[in-house]
Amino acid sequence: MLLDFALPAHDRKLIPEGRLSGPMPWVIAIMLFLTILVAAAGVTLADAARKGGADLASKVTVQIIEPDPVARAAQKAAVARSLRSVPGVSGVNPVPEGEVRNLLEPWLGSGIIDADIPVPALVDFRIDRIPNGQMLRAMQRRLESVAPNIRLDSHSSWMAPFFDLMSALVWLSVGVFIMLLVATSAVVILAVRSTLNTHRGTIEIMQMMGGTDLQAARLFQRRVALDALLGGVVGFAAATAVILALGGRFAAVEPGLLSGATFPWYGWVLLAIIPLAVMGLAMLMARWTVVSALKKML
Amino acid sequence: MQSVVEFDNVGLRYGTGAETLTDLSFTLYPGSFYFLTGASGAGKTSLLKLLYLAHRPSRGAIRMFGHDAITLPRERLPGFRRRIGVVFQDFRLVQHLSAFDNIALPLRIAGIQEKDLQGPVTEMLAWIGLTERADARPATLSGGEQQRVAIARAVIGRPEVLVADEPTGNVDPDMARRLLQLFAALNRLGTTVVVATHDIHLLQEIENAQMMRLDKGRLSDPTGQLKHPPRPLVLKN
Repeated sequence: MLLDFALPAHDRKLIPEGRLSGPMPWVIAIMLFLTILVAAAGVTLADAARKGGADLASKVTVQIIEPDPVARAAQKAAVARSLRSVPGVSGVNPVPEGEVRNLLEPWLGSGIIDADIPVPALVDFRIDRIPNGQMLRAMQRRLESVAPNIRLDSHSSWMAPFFDLMSALVWLSVGVFIMLLVATSAVVILAVRSTLNTHRGTIEIMQMMGGTDLQAARLFQRRVALDALLGGVVGFAAATAVILALGGRFAAVEPGLLSGATFPWYGWVLLAIIPLAVMGLAMLMARWTVVSALKKML
Repeated sequence: MQSVVEFDNVGLRYGTGAETLTDLSFTLYPGSFYFLTGASGAGKTSLLKLLYLAHRPSRGAIRMFGHDAITLPRERLPGFRRRIGVVFQDFRLVQHLSAFDNIALPLRIAGIQEKDLQGPVTEMLAWIGLTERADARPATLSGGEQQRVAIARAVIGRPEVLVADEPTGNVDPDMARRLLQLFAALNRLGTTVVVATHDIHLLQEIENAQMMRLDKGRLSDPTGQLKHPPRPLVLKN
């Protein structure tokens, strides 16, 4: 199909210059701009969900509920020791009491915490896989031997709605991406049909002289490919500028749920492929439209 | 003798209307020259369209170059059409191409290399007296000049069958005679020529030409030769 670019100059003259161009490259540029942005959003979300999901979902926090501060501290150390001896457990982190108080202070106030409310001791750790209920129950039984009143919070359980949302957004972006490709194809089909009607006389003469359907289709394919290429370059450049600008904004966001939202290297490869894929799609649509239309003629 | 074209009980109907052509049966032989006459609306152009495979008949059988043209697969049509030269009544030149490019079109469609077509096209332009107008677009050519370009385009590929619809309608008698000589020269080289015309003087230019007459879509055979091999062609001087 790429050979269709290499039409001799005299063949190119058969359909006059500038008939398919005009608004066509700009429409394709806008469609590609939107397509690339949607693809970039989808890739970013998918990557963030993958990284963040793996990072957060494997985290577990042990809450040690013990009113006596001395016993609580002892149990905290014992839980940490016990966890470090479990295979597959890493990153055991007894959370300092001051940090826990700081977390609660905005809701409860400093005075009340100090005076009246016993703050649970926390120990964070990571498991080499996303824990299921059975694993957590086994872990709980093991830790209860050193700290009888504990609760295990798997981050995967409370993060699940968030990652469900992320997953839904990724699928939404895939859906919008496909719809934009369909809309781009429709634009190409309409433009080719219009041009075919304009040049029906020339095409009929070519056919009467023994021109094949593919010879006629190549004339349109080349024009459409050039328009798609021009639109693709413009759309890609604009979308890249937006992605880079948004990337800078993301980098300035405080670490948190969005901290994993970076644009991966393979995302750039994917985005670079999109204009070429759209060009190929446009050429296929042009060929299909012309050959289908010509089949209705003898 | 192997026929070039055979029509057997052919009828043509556009849409649901009455038949434009009815019960046409004739045979055209290689190297023959035929004039097709008839009043306006008799169906001459429709018959020519069947001959240059622009339409398929509503009924009957057509064999061209030894093959059934009715059931010919679409992908094989271009190969057959390249063996047929057509001069359209309304010329049908490509308006945005120069006279040179219009004449070169059949050769380019057939895939002839650029270096190989420059000579024949230039020679053809000289023959029709339009060397100086090689770069002119059809809109800037007179009716007669456009007709000459259309004829040059039809004959440059040395077709086995040449179909011409009123080819001399817009040229002066001298040019008409020269164009007819070109047809006759092609005919001598083996091309079967079918010329639709109203011009009775033209009919007398080629002595052994056979005549088909259409009357309200039905064919008559005034010379009685359509089913017989042609006689050698003799041009009147």
